[in-house]
Amino acid sequence: MKRIFLLAACTAMTACAGHVASTDISELDGVRAAIQKAKAAGAERCAPALQAKAVATMYHAAHEITDEVGSHPDEDADLIATALKAANQAYAKAKKGCSPEVITLEGVFFETNSADLTASSTATLDRAVKTLQKRSNINVEVAAHTDSMGQAAYNLDLSNRRAASVMDYLVAHGIKASRLSAKGYGETQPRADNGTAAGRAKNRRVELRIK
Amino acid sequence: MKRIILLTAAMCLFAGSATAAGWSVSVDDRAAALNTQLKGNNGYHADLARELADIATEEKAQHDSDVARAFMNMAEEHAAQAGGSK
Repeated sequence: MKRIFLLAACTAMTACAGHVASTDISELDGVRAAIQKAKAAGAERCAPALQAKAVATMYHAAHEITDEVGSHPDEDADLIATALKAANQAYAKAKKGCSPEVITLEGVFFETNSADLTASSTATLDRAVKTLQKRSNINVEVAAHTDSMGQAAYNLDLSNRRAASVMDYLVAHGIKASRLSAKGYGETQPRADNGTAAGRAKNRRVELRIK
Repeated sequence: MKRIILLTAAMCLFAGSATAAGWSVSVDDRAAALNTQLKGNNGYHADLARELADIATEEKAQHDSDVARAFMNMAEEHAAQAGGSK
């Protein structure tokens, strides 16, 4: 009798601890299939926000459908429709192809016309080191860009040296060189108007492009 | 026999607490910390962590605290996989 009581108590306590309901229910067959299809097409990389919304909403729907306290068919149907729509959009976006994930290293600066990093850059670079340590399964290209002031050939060379300088910092702080490559793009890939000082400042940048 | 019962009960209690980590910190506070931790991170796991944290907050608002904690635990697992802020 004691054992039965104990077992019941443990079961109740585990239930009270809370868990997310299983998504392996017939009502979610269509959503699971759509999410799987999107994932196979590369949605986690190419459409992360949509795919995440689909997955999270599926879990939410699983909870609402299996919730023993009250039944809300309309709410369940809405969640299923939302998850399905997000998964289908994620699939469509992934099928179109996607550009690689890019981490812009805000706050990395160099001395003028030089590849020497300024002292203030280390905080950003140290955060990048931590990110690369945590995401140990990714390889990245260090991509450096300049604005359009000066000669294009000079800017290309300068950006190559700056990319190498950042890569050297990352390697010196423990990131394996085999995970990294460095490339300068000079002034060829502006993301703002080079006609203004603010635009030029945005164009001078260093990115980590995840391969 | 009593000792065994007490020990088992204690283990069950511990398991319950461990499963729903963060009993002492509110779901809202944990969601805020997660959003700070993932600031600027737009990867899949970061997005999923934020979505799950939103659901946790929603469930908490509906006074379903156990489910809210369960979703928050899940959100924090994905936040850990996301690798933090960028």
